[in-house]
Amino acid sequence: MVSAAARSTTAATLVFVASVFLIAPDAPLWCVVIALGAAIWRVLVALGHIAPMKRFAGTRFLLGAVTAILVIVVAASARTLNGLVAGTALLLAMGALKLLESRTRRDDGIVIGVALFILLASALATQSLIRVPFYLLTVWGACAAIAIVADRGGALTPKAALRLSARALAMSIPLAAACFLFFPRVAGQFWSLQRGEEATTGLSDEMSPGGIGRLAINFDPAFRVRFEGKPPPHAALYWRGPVLNDFDGFTWRRSRSSYYPGAHLEMLGPEFRYRVTLEPSQQRWLFALDTVQEVLRRDVFIAPQDRQLSMAFPIDRAMSYDAVSYLTTRNEGALPAPGRRQETTLPLERNPRARALALDLRARTGSDAEFVREALNWFRDNGLEYTLDPGVTTLDSVDTTLFDSKRGFCGHFASAYATMMRAAGVPARIVTGYLGGEWNPVGDYLLVRQSDAHAWTEVWLEGSGWTRIDPTAVVAPGRLTSGIFDLLSGLPATSTFMRNNAWLSRLDHLWDSANWWWQERVVDFNLRAQLDLLRKFGIDSPAWQHLGWAFAAGLVGWIAWVSLSLRRGVARIRPDRIGRAWIRATRKLARIAPARTPAEGPLEYARRVGLQRPDLAARVDALASFYARLRFGRDASHQDVAAFEREVRNLSF
Amino acid sequence: MTSVARETSGALKDKLRRRMGAWARRRQGDDRLPLVISTRRVYILPTRAGLAFAALLLAMLLTGLNYSNSMALLITFLLSGFGMIAMHLTHRNLTGVALRTVAGVDAFVGEHGRLLVTLENSADTVRLALECEVAGADGAAVDIPAGGTARADVGLPLTRRGRLEVDRITLSTMFPFGLFRAWTYVHIKAGVLAWPVPRGRRETPPEASSGGNAPAMHRVGDEEWAGLREFRTGDSPRQVAWGAYARGRGLLVKTYQSPAAHHRLFDLAAVPGADLEQRLEQLSAWILAAHARGERYGLRLAEQTLPPDSGNEHRVRCLNGLALFGTGETW
Repeated sequence: MVSAAARSTTAATLVFVASVFLIAPDAPLWCVVIALGAAIWRVLVALGHIAPMKRFAGTRFLLGAVTAILVIVVAASARTLNGLVAGTALLLAMGALKLLESRTRRDDGIVIGVALFILLASALATQSLIRVPFYLLTVWGACAAIAIVADRGGALTPKAALRLSARALAMSIPLAAACFLFFPRVAGQFWSLQRGEEATTGLSDEMSPGGIGRLAINFDPAFRVRFEGKPPPHAALYWRGPVLNDFDGFTWRRSRSSYYPGAHLEMLGPEFRYRVTLEPSQQRWLFALDTVQEVLRRDVFIAPQDRQLSMAFPIDRAMSYDAVSYLTTRNEGALPAPGRRQETTLPLERNPRARALALDLRARTGSDAEFVREALNWFRDNGLEYTLDPGVTTLDSVDTTLFDSKRGFCGHFASAYATMMRAAGVPARIVTGYLGGEWNPVGDYLLVRQSDAHAWTEVWLEGSGWTRIDPTAVVAPGRLTSGIFDLLSGLPATSTFMRNNAWLSRLDHLWDSANWWWQERVVDFNLRAQLDLLRKFGIDSPAWQHLGWAFAAGLVGWIAWVSLSLRRGVARIRPDRIGRAWIRATRKLARIAPARTPAEGPLEYARRVGLQRPDLAARVDALASFYARLRFGRDASHQDVAAFEREVRNLSF
Repeated sequence: MTSVARETSGALKDKLRRRMGAWARRRQGDDRLPLVISTRRVYILPTRAGLAFAALLLAMLLTGLNYSNSMALLITFLLSGFGMIAMHLTHRNLTGVALRTVAGVDAFVGEHGRLLVTLENSADTVRLALECEVAGADGAAVDIPAGGTARADVGLPLTRRGRLEVDRITLSTMFPFGLFRAWTYVHIKAGVLAWPVPRGRRETPPEASSGGNAPAMHRVGDEEWAGLREFRTGDSPRQVAWGAYARGRGLLVKTYQSPAAHHRLFDLAAVPGADLEQRLEQLSAWILAAHARGERYGLRLAEQTLPPDSGNEHRVRCLNGLALFGTGETW
């Protein structure tokens, strides 16, 4: 049998271990190892398998020194203490130290507290739906551990503690929901921690040959889109991301220096309104359908020259934004001189054959527009192959693609096409983004995966402005109408299996819908969403105060509900039939004689009633004797009980 | 914290506790048993662990708000709700308990007297880890089964002869999560007697005879048969007439009538010495010795005299007399 103290320590340590596992992907490995080692050691000591650490006069001093060393190591490795990674590492190290020196129940309580804070840190690092059950399980375990630590007598079994805390947590769900919806959020940060160098995902602001090809086999979601009204045709779903305009012959980069003012842009045709929920990418880029007119969010910046969306800070959690886009635009103005200079610059010594070809084609055509078409025709007719595996590239990457290997992925073709345009003096730039997406019929939205990443070009034509030219579309026309799945071979077997099995595919859609709901409705729930919610309740100009009132109302309602439902739980024991009948009898007697005191037995009471009312003495005595016989004698038969009830019923004065 | 600061805070705590007690006493008045603990008289405050938990929640809330991190906020809100439910559960564990009886068990100075508090639980759920406390004594933990009763046994250390008065019983609980402590005061008069320790080397006074000077040479066996009487609580099984019992005549006790001469009289005035307590202790020792031998003895304390008798009841009456001598209380 495990002692109550050992049970307390084990419970607290287990919660700590659970939280360490949750943070493990986002914490330095050495901290995780130390924390888990200390936990195993502590449990073994608690269970009596190994001897506890001997304490001597300098123990406290030693622990202090170890703490200081740990702080220094963490600060040195993270290069700051004011960061999520550093904070996590410190938490883990401190938790491990606490385990080493813990002996009392108070220490166990502190370990649970540290575990809860580690849990919070892992929630800060990742809030994906799949982890939510694990978070909740850890919270449950922590609550049960609190009960076990508090139970000095050892009367509470782990099972009972789990049941108790499950009930307490279940009852607090309504409060948590009310708090979540109405507890006033703050708009900004009041304390900013440095974020670690977290791995970025998705498209970046540069593109080398093969860069996009690496994304093509990554099936993680990039973002999800819900359209207001009818979505545009599949082939028109060009999601514009980073626009690149500096080329060194190998890599395209976004120019950081020159922002030239955008000329007047006319939006034509139908408008499309939609809401994008972006997965955290640790990048600053946002994506919008074709030409975006506006984004209904103040912290999103639209660059004037290329209408590219960006934010001031990396996107570290799911975020949603509403946007309005047009598929057709016209710009009859002229391209400003700095812009023309920037969008026609090429490195002089690179890709000589492509440049020669471009100059040759331009010389044979009458206008820029005609040249653009001719170049596309050249791409179509020269046996280029669309493949994920284009082979080795050289520094003259465009020449290699066009004349040597004749194989490429979208990035190669876009790069080659833009190079040819610029060589002939036609302003051109690379647009990276996504093409298409997968319609989710369950949630009625479009899921765009990393594998939908694409790159194309835009060229400036006098009279119409920037015009999208997608050379991949002429090389591999199928890419426009279907995803990457159908065009390429060598994809993971599981993913193709998933797509071809209707049942699994439906399950996949369901799971993705749940994820989308979680991202948009829960993860991205903020002050703006709270105010929107109040608007739905009919408050025209909602403010903080309204939230406060709604929150207070929810709190009061919940407390009332809890008090009522917990009071019901302590219902008095209901007496059995014999007892109920006797209570009825004493109530009747109380009308004509003194009431029975709690300490009075039935016979005693009957005697007292008899003294008061000699006329009733015999009758009451008989009744009391009957009750005593039923109550204290051998098992009363059903008939006897019924007879007694009848007697009581007939009792009247 | 330095020791001085700790002492100061301890003193402050004591002062606050006394204030609170006095206030509750004025508010509630005296109580009579049996007593059902109603919500009106249950007080509740967070424990040190509860305060730490609240501080943790505050830190978590600020972190969650700072990062507008929904998952962190959800966890925080869930735990906040849990804390409030914990408060309700602790409160509920105490309210509705009934205090049936309080009985004192007397003992010698230096031992522990006992206060037996009978608690009843009329609810359909067990009540665990209730604590019954009395000033100056360690609390006694008790669990009460659903619809049942349980007895808390509070040990009262007896340091001085006389009556140890208890005018307040504190019932408290921190169950189930230890984040809150709910307590109630019950103001009833109860107490235990502290008998003088049997101590002293003086020889037992000789048996006295009504005639006077003849030295008593009688031993117990010389007593004369005086008949049977009904069994009374406290009678020794050795005195029971088992033969009569076997014949179905019920529990009867054989009594012997010693001649009037065959008894001892313990007189406080006859015990030499200056210290009253020491003299009383000597009397206590004689009484126990005489009782163990089954002798008849009487006790005289100043004006009051207990006539010679024997048996457990007589012994207790004599010890009570010793305990209360000089306190002004009658016995």
